[in-house]
Amino acid sequence: MKTRGDTLLRAGGYAAGFAALFAIWHVAAVVIVRSVLFPPPGQVIVRAVELLQDGTLEEQVAVSLRRIMTGFLAGSLIGVPLGLAIGSFRLVRYLLEPFTEFFRFIPATAMITVAVIWFGIGEGSKIFLIIYTTVFIVTLNTSAGVSAITPNKIRAARCLGANAWQVFTHVALPATAPYILTGMRLAMGNSFVTIVAAELIAANAGLGKMIWDSRLYMLVDQIFVALLTLGLLGFVTDRLFRWAIHRFAGRFSPVS
Amino acid sequence: MSLISLSKVGKTYRSIRGTDYEALRQFDLEIGAGEFFCLLGTSGCGKTTVLNLVAGFEAQTEGTVTVAGKRLTGPGVERGVVFQGDDSLYPWLTARGNIEFGLRMRGLPARERRERADYFLELVGLRGQGHKHPQELSGGMKQRIQIARVLANEPDILLMDEPFGALDAQTRSVMQRELLRIWDSTRKTVLFITHDIDEAVTLATRIGVMHAGPGSRLKATIDVGLTPDQRDRTNDGYVAVYRQVDALLRDEVAIAMRRAEA
Repeated sequence: MKTRGDTLLRAGGYAAGFAALFAIWHVAAVVIVRSVLFPPPGQVIVRAVELLQDGTLEEQVAVSLRRIMTGFLAGSLIGVPLGLAIGSFRLVRYLLEPFTEFFRFIPATAMITVAVIWFGIGEGSKIFLIIYTTVFIVTLNTSAGVSAITPNKIRAARCLGANAWQVFTHVALPATAPYILTGMRLAMGNSFVTIVAAELIAANAGLGKMIWDSRLYMLVDQIFVALLTLGLLGFVTDRLFRWAIHRFAGRFSPVS
Repeated sequence: MSLISLSKVGKTYRSIRGTDYEALRQFDLEIGAGEFFCLLGTSGCGKTTVLNLVAGFEAQTEGTVTVAGKRLTGPGVERGVVFQGDDSLYPWLTARGNIEFGLRMRGLPARERRERADYFLELVGLRGQGHKHPQELSGGMKQRIQIARVLANEPDILLMDEPFGALDAQTRSVMQRELLRIWDSTRKTVLFITHDIDEAVTLATRIGVMHAGPGSRLKATIDVGLTPDQRDRTNDGYVAVYRQVDALLRDEVAIAMRRAEA
């Protein structure tokens, strides 16, 4: 049971934690390092506000987020049914494991060059890479979720008159939901890594491109704006996922 | 004619390493409609295998299993199963949602489902608890949900696999009384698996004692002609039945222990 005290504790803790993060950053930049190559948070925030006012930051964020969302949703839409099939049918498992277990160990970042050669430096290669980085981890978690269903849940459903399809929709799917969401949450983290790497190497826009361009002109504070934005975006998306897992999977979810 | 009939049933679990295990051999059992039959045996004697065969979860390797004269092809709604643990309950559903599960599968309208669920929540003593999820309830209450879930589906036969085995002694005793009361008002045919003699004498109209495994058969059956008020540990009739069952079971326990050591 979550009480009001828990919510207050969390809000207070997060506020203090972020304050400490910025304080340490400030002390490190102003007192310890004292270099133009390591701007303090104040300077970065001022620069961020400037970039927000002229619209550049929003544009880069929008580009990167749109790529992540498109690829992530497409990857999940492919990964969930694949995982359900692998978890449900042994033959499918043996047929598809050579694929999933093979590509899982080739990181998306290693595929960047190939993706650019195949799909160009525009949206195609980015979305391909995000799908690639999403699909296997969602598949793996989903199939693990199916395997974790206790046989008695299915036996009980059969005795209560459920047919095979009803067992799937009313038992297998809800029992697997927390695992699916957990897989998607991990995939979201991977998507951030992949999109930045891809945009650093070859892109015409996006947060990664912003970091790369800023490096060319030695705009260190602008690099830090991009880093700060990535951190905040990641934090917020992950919170949303944890909230969804709690909301849809209840108290028995594997994450807390 | 018997409602449940097992004739010359053999069940061998085949293993890829060639160490097959023969759980049952030439196993015969007849249970009539309306009986409360307790199957009693030492651990590992194949009691649960018998229940799994009647439930349709597993298929026998020899012999025939029939229910109401028909050979089994799998689980069916006329045979409701109450499992030992709580892992058959659906944690994403409330107690009410669990109880309504079978009714929903059969497409009953929501109004009727709600009324039936209310009736069975009341019957198993969970009135006002329907909105809670299983994980918010105690072990005894979870078993009540399981019983209500099965009864709401109106099966002819209740198959119960040590349903109170994981409960503490007090709760178990309360649950046994409740089960007797419910059985008295519904008169379902019950096949109840247990290794507890007291539980069998408290509940059963007839008790079957199994030989120790492997290759187990039924050793004997005993008619328990006890009235409800005689089902008390201090009653002479109760003690007589207890002794009879205990004498049958004691040798088998010794055999099982000797085999376990060998």
